[in-house]
Formats: sequence, C-alpha cells, structure tokens
Amino acid sequence: MASVKLDNIQKRFGDVQVLHGIDLDIKDGEFVVLIGESGCGKSTLLRLLSGLEEITEGDLHIDGQRVNHQSPAQRGIAMVFQSYALYPHMSVYKNMAFGLKIAGQDKQAVKLKVEEAAKKLKIDHLLERLPRELSGGQRQRVAIGRAIVRDPKVFLFDEPLSNLDASLRVKTRVELGKLHQELNATIVYVTHDQVEAMTLGDKIVVMNQGRIEQAGTPLSLYHHPKTEFVAGFIGSPKMNFISAQVTSIESDSVQLMLESGPTIRAAIDGQTLKLADKVKLGVRPEHFVLATDEENQFQGRVSLVENLGELAYVYVNTGQNAESDIVIKLDGDCQYQAGDSIRFAVAAADTYLFDKAGMALPRLNKA
Amino acid sequence: MTLPKSKSTPESAVEKKPIPWHIVFFLGPALLIYLTFSVYPLLDTLILSLYDEQKGQSSFVGLQNFITLISDDNWSSAFWNALANNFQFFIIHMLVQNPIGLLLAVLLSSPKLRFSGSYRTFIFMPTMLSVVIIGFVWQLLLSPIWGISENFLYHLGLDHYFDAWLGKESSALITLSFISVWQFVGIPMMLIYATLLNIPDDIVDASVVDGANPMQTFWYIKLPLILPTIAMVSILTFVANFNAFELIYAVKGALAGPNFSTDLMGTFFYRTFFGFQLQEGSATMGAAVATLMFLIILVGIMLFLFFVQRRIQRFQF
Repeated sequence: MASVKLDNIQKRFGDVQVLHGIDLDIKDGEFVVLIGESGCGKSTLLRLLSGLEEITEGDLHIDGQRVNHQSPAQRGIAMVFQSYALYPHMSVYKNMAFGLKIAGQDKQAVKLKVEEAAKKLKIDHLLERLPRELSGGQRQRVAIGRAIVRDPKVFLFDEPLSNLDASLRVKTRVELGKLHQELNATIVYVTHDQVEAMTLGDKIVVMNQGRIEQAGTPLSLYHHPKTEFVAGFIGSPKMNFISAQVTSIESDSVQLMLESGPTIRAAIDGQTLKLADKVKLGVRPEHFVLATDEENQFQGRVSLVENLGELAYVYVNTGQNAESDIVIKLDGDCQYQAGDSIRFAVAAADTYLFDKAGMALPRLNKA
Repeated sequence: MTLPKSKSTPESAVEKKPIPWHIVFFLGPALLIYLTFSVYPLLDTLILSLYDEQKGQSSFVGLQNFITLISDDNWSSAFWNALANNFQFFIIHMLVQNPIGLLLAVLLSSPKLRFSGSYRTFIFMPTMLSVVIIGFVWQLLLSPIWGISENFLYHLGLDHYFDAWLGKESSALITLSFISVWQFVGIPMMLIYATLLNIPDDIVDASVVDGANPMQTFWYIKLPLILPTIAMVSILTFVANFNAFELIYAVKGALAGPNFSTDLMGTFFYRTFFGFQLQEGSATMGAAVATLMFLIILVGIMLFLFFVQRRIQRFQF
C-alpha cells in the first residue's frame, strides 16, 4: 500500500496537449475515482500512472519515490482493464499466476497466493477453466484476482464495470467497495458513471478537457460544486440550469428574476455580483417540492412523466422563454400526466448559483 | 391424452415434406462445376494410373506402374531423387521462409516502425509477380557472365564468395529454394501480420503491467495466439512446395539440371507425362506420378490434421 503524488503531470501526443498539468495527492488506502466525459483525459492519466504511457512533463511519486521512468512492474501497480484483457490461451490459474511467474517466484509460493486470492474472490472452482468458458462477471473477478495476487502498491481500474449488465454491475460495485475495505488498498478508479463515483470513492476527481475541474469527497462535490460543469456532472438526473438576472443583493440572499417570469430568492453569498448581472440558477430535481404557499414558486405544464414506481421524474415546460424543460423528482404515486398544469417550489437554501463564467457562488446555510 | 396426437404430427410432416428444390437449385451449379473439373479428372487420373498403354492398346495392370516407379532401375532413381529434392525444397522453406515471415510480421506490427505500409507493399510485391518472371530475373542476376551479383559482392568486398550457384549440382537446388523463399515470404508475413494486428492492445498492455519484457510478451502471449496461423502457413507451404514446378521449369527447364539436381515431383511428372527430348511421354506412368504426388500431399495433410490441428485451438478475443 502506498501514497501517490502527482505534480504538474502533463501529456502531449505530438502537438496535441491532452493533460494540462495535473496535481493530485492520493493518500495511502484511499479510493480515488477519476470521472469525466469521454475524451477528458481520465484514461490517459490512468495509463500515465500505470507506466504504459510516458509522462511528458511533471513528476509522479509512488510511496515518496519518483517513478517517472520505471516500468509498470517496478512501480508496483496492477491494473484491471475495461475489456478484462485476460490471456485467452491460459487457464484462470495461469492468468493469475503469470505476473508472479515472470517475476521468477517459487512455484509453491505462487500456488498459495493464487489459491488464496481465488478463494477471496470465490473463483477457486474455476481455476482450470479458460477465459472463454467464463461469464462476464467471472472474467471480471479473474481480472481483479490477477491484480490482487501481485500484492501491488496501487490498484488501477479502467472502467471495470462498463461491460457488465445492469444488475451485475450493481452487485460487483458493492463487492468492489467491500474488497477495498478488506484490502485497505490504494485504488485509482476511472469511470464515467457518477453513481459508481459517488458510491465507491473516498475522493472524486472530476476532469474536464485535460484539467482537474474539482477534487473532493463525494458529498462536498454534491453540495459545493465549484463550477457549473461539476454541478451538472454529479447527481442524476442532471441539475436544472435556469438563466436569470440579479435584481437585488442582500447579506443573506440574492433576488433573481428568471427569464420565464418568476422571482426567486437564493441563499447565496452575492457579494461579487452586481445588479442586472446575467447568472444561472441551479436546482437539483430532488430539491423541488410541490408548491404550498412557500416562496420561490414555479408554474408550468407537464410535458412528460417518467414513473419509476418509487419515484417519478416530471418534465415541466415553464413557458415560452424557458430554454428547456425543468426536471422535478416527485413521489411515484403522484398523479400528474402530460398536459397537466403544475406548481412547484424550491427552498432558498437548496439553490445553486453560477456566474457568467460558470463559476459557482458560495452557498449559505450549507455546511 | 395428447400423446397420440403429438406422435402423429411428425409423421404427417414427413409425408407432406416436398422435395427441397431450392437446395438443388442453389447447390447444383457449383456442385456440377466441382464434379466436372475437380472430382472427375482426379478419379480419371487415379484410374488411368492402374492401366498400361502399349501401341494404343490399354490394359489393366493393377499397381504395376507404382511398383515400376519405386523399384525399376530406369525409373526409381529419378523418382527417389525428385522426392528427396522436394523434401529438401520444403524443409528450406519451413526453416527460412516461415521464420523470416514471422520476423517481418513482428517488425511490421511494431507501432514504432515508420513507413510500415511501404515495407509491407515492397515485401509483398514479388509474390504478385509471375514465377516465370521471377525465375528469369534471378537467372540474369546470378549469371556469372552478365549477372550483376559478382560485381555487387565485389563492392561489398565479398567477391571471392561468388560462385555459379545455379550451375553447380551442390548449390542449384538451395539457390532455387532461396529464390522461391524470396518471392513468397510475403504470404506468411501477411497472414501472421494480420493475426498479430488482431491481438487486442489491452492483452499486450496487461502483460506489460504484469512485468513481462517485450521478449516475454512475444513468447508467452503473442506466439501462442498466432500459433494457429503458423500451423496454417506450414500446411500451405507444404502443399505449394509439393506442387512446385514453374520456377524449376523457368530457370532450369524440364531436365532440372545440372544432372537432375533440381528435379522436383512437378518436373519429374512433366517429363514422364509429356515426354522430353529422348524420353517418350506416357500418360499412364504420368498418372501414376500424379497419383503419388496426390497421396503424398494427402498423407501430409492428414498427419498434420491428426497431430497438430487437433491440439491447436483458435482464440476469440
């Protein structure tokens, strides 16, 4: 187990700059999730950590040692690939033992380690099979087993669950979380699935166009996104963004006039704003409530209802000036249908506000 | 109670089943062509080899032609010579052509190699040319009288190694084998190259992460995965070599000189069947040679299928 330190890591492919200086500290035993849209550089960063790609500039330290020019094996990392990348001509046992065999370890010791890891992952009855005789979930376990037997300092996971079907993905996700607790390993995990990020990560690193947009605990990213990008990325369904204009600024709140009409009070520290500034109001679907007599009322017409049973996503058109439908999360037993008119509201404390550059303004009343 | 009913259903289905004319329609033409141009000539050759023809009178002689071929004083030395030469020809291809093809394929598939497309085209180019042209060109190149080889070696300081390779009994067959290797090395290269490209990068990456150096990655990961292709290349080489004829004929003529030292089964068959210079052609003896060639290739392929192909498994990624 080891800590990892990235210091101004850059990567260029020819003239194309893919990573623009990544700084990141990963503590011993921490589960770090790299998340971002495809092409944001998260997989490239993982390959730089693994040693499969060369670092163009910057320093990478594992356990306090600079490892820029070390091979993957010297770095003591193990990687689980999206495609699992099992050797198709080797049995499960040989797949898991390959790294140890290359390292020249004693046959008996290899056997012990492989059997121990196989037992841990409940694949000890599959050791003589070939990969093609395994199901997707079993292959996934073998790939993880191949990483575990080498007892690496750092585990790297490259979207390991994206080839599994939905139910197996949830199951494996839970197992991965347990495995992390059991092994107490340092893990870097790349995904584009924000549910995996929220549930697995001790720390989430949101990447955008080769830069770290924000890094922090899952809840800090949920409650205090630094930018509109992060706010849109964390949380599902996506946060609603509504264009608005600042109409008055008070010490504990900001008054906004939405383009679609209503006036909204947001519990935001608006010291840096000026009157009539164009801003974007952010509200998560789960923070809307059906209107009683509260402030911050919206009204509109239901354009679509997606009912999942326990809850329903209601898409509301709030008028001609609205850019897109607002999504509201309601109880599954709500009776709304397309065409109904609907009134709903949001508490001032549950709002987010972003300036013209997409930077978040500090939220008040939220720890 | 439903049992009798379900029992009667398949019977009535069998009765009503019409003749599958569409299958006949689709398979018919291809089958007809195959039977006419492949199966019939083959069977006819096999039958012809069991007859003897003297002054227009043909008579059934059983296996006499084969016995003559392998034991008669006039025939057997030429036959065994051609067969031995043919094995030598084949072994040189296996030991030189296929390893070089493998090496070239590995080099070509290296992502660091620039101009790999051009190399691929240039190496494959001779394969697309006619064997007759290749034979003629090399005959000119190697000629001790007006060939450029001697001069070329002279400029490398190696001219004392030059010899009339094609003209000496000891070196003619080896030289011809190398010419053939040079021409056809593109085929194993292309086949193995295609297989190498098919190996997912992830698998190679995984072995690098597992600590394997490039040699170990090749030996433990890539080679087992291209083994089926290498086996296929070997069998193709075997069949092609035992059917070889044009190169020898183009460079050395039907007499496969000097002193039959480059005689292969193909040229031996040609002289036997069509006759050449003082030798009279014999359709029945020719058919016997052709039958033996067929049997040699058949046995070779069967041995391969039995001992090699059964143990090799193809891999899906």
